[in-house]
Amino acid sequence: MTSVLSKHLPSDQMTDIPVGRIGEARLLANLAGADLSAHRETHGQPMPLSRSRLLGYLDAVNLTGRGGASFPFAHKIRALPEEVEPIVVVNAAEGEPASAKDHALLRYSPHLIADGAAVAATAVGARKIIIAVTDRPAGEITARAIAMRPDAASFTVRLLPDTFITGEARALVRALSGGPAVPPGRRTPATEQGVDGIPTLLSNAETFAQLGVLARIGPQQYATSGSHDEPGTTLITATGAVASPGVLEVPYGIDLLTVAAAVGARPSQAVVIGGYHGIWHIPDPSLVLSKRMLGAGAVVFVGDQTCPLAELTRVTEWLAAQSATQCGPCMFGLPALANDVAALSRGSASAEVAARHARLVTGRGACAHPDGAARFVRSALGVLAEEIGVHDRYRDCRRVDRGDLSLTRAAAFVRGQR
Amino acid sequence: MTIELAVDWTRCAGHGLCAALLPGTIALDDWGYPVIDAGGAQRERPADLKRAVSVCPALALRVTKR
Repeated sequence: MTSVLSKHLPSDQMTDIPVGRIGEARLLANLAGADLSAHRETHGQPMPLSRSRLLGYLDAVNLTGRGGASFPFAHKIRALPEEVEPIVVVNAAEGEPASAKDHALLRYSPHLIADGAAVAATAVGARKIIIAVTDRPAGEITARAIAMRPDAASFTVRLLPDTFITGEARALVRALSGGPAVPPGRRTPATEQGVDGIPTLLSNAETFAQLGVLARIGPQQYATSGSHDEPGTTLITATGAVASPGVLEVPYGIDLLTVAAAVGARPSQAVVIGGYHGIWHIPDPSLVLSKRMLGAGAVVFVGDQTCPLAELTRVTEWLAAQSATQCGPCMFGLPALANDVAALSRGSASAEVAARHARLVTGRGACAHPDGAARFVRSALGVLAEEIGVHDRYRDCRRVDRGDLSLTRAAAFVRGQR
Repeated sequence: MTIELAVDWTRCAGHGLCAALLPGTIALDDWGYPVIDAGGAQRERPADLKRAVSVCPALALRVTKR
């Protein structure tokens, strides 16, 4: 397998997001941005598919949502009521600071997202497609791209508040319906009651880009990359203690060592996979990055030089601050959890106190934010058990927080240069 | 059929009446919000469940049947 980290597209206003690939580039095969004819040269004209044909394709490769939950895309299509005309929503509200793959797609290959969304819309009989973004420059490129398309009339690009919680599917639906960008109290699926109450086929931007590729090359060709159980490629965002942070297209089944080598990872004491709702792991080089583990694909290397408990404290405080403060257990529980972790870092508490609060917030909110934050902390308590012992004995580990776990995309991508 | 108690967390303000009425099934956490014993609703009398739901000042509690 080859690894190329070459394509830098600098901009005056935007954070530079370097992109690369390990193996075959499909989603990132053309980085022409809004230019439709350049896109067509690489990706051709998308073939419209019938509903049953599309479902056959999706089932054959088990295409799952790339927003983090890995829900089978075909299940959403099957859940749509047949008697109502649905709408299609592309969720490009990427609030996770350790992830930049949707931003990269919007900027470098917006037509691939649009192709996939158009294929899905045709198959389910939808005439209206909304692309929801939270990043203004990326949204402007997308709008420029859409304006060049013959099917431009089907599309609307909507700019929503740039908060972590906006990208939560029900919060997004609510915001697109004219409400606040926070999750509603009842968990009604979008396929039942989506934007303005209309059944809505909603998925992450990368899911639609994957569909754009799948519709063109078909399931057999699609399965020539990736593993037997998890065919195809995926986008990951590798940051932290690395020489070359970036968004990489990789085949499923890839191991941690290959990713570490591609981005020049420094010796690391841990790796966080799946972003800040994800899980801390011991950096075993042979660890296979599975679909479930990757979620939306953020991989963050926690280097040997940083204090991991200080990093954990900072991110947990940030997660607490991202609460929409609608639900008591999240509003009070996450700050309590952050306090517990800070106390661990000072060597003045036991891990069991934090573990109890983590258990207490799980499953008790309108959305999965408290669950994700709790999962993040609980996995860290396991991986960092020895480190917690050091802090307990010496109050300190003689290392400072180097900021490997970035809280802004800009910080995540300047690391290589600093 | 499984009977469960569900909380609309965006409405619940931690008044705690549900825990007072159904002490065998609902406890309160450190901040006064209900912690519901999974399966607990199955053991409660339907009339008691109904009463707990109806007295919630925030209209946050409901019984779901699956």
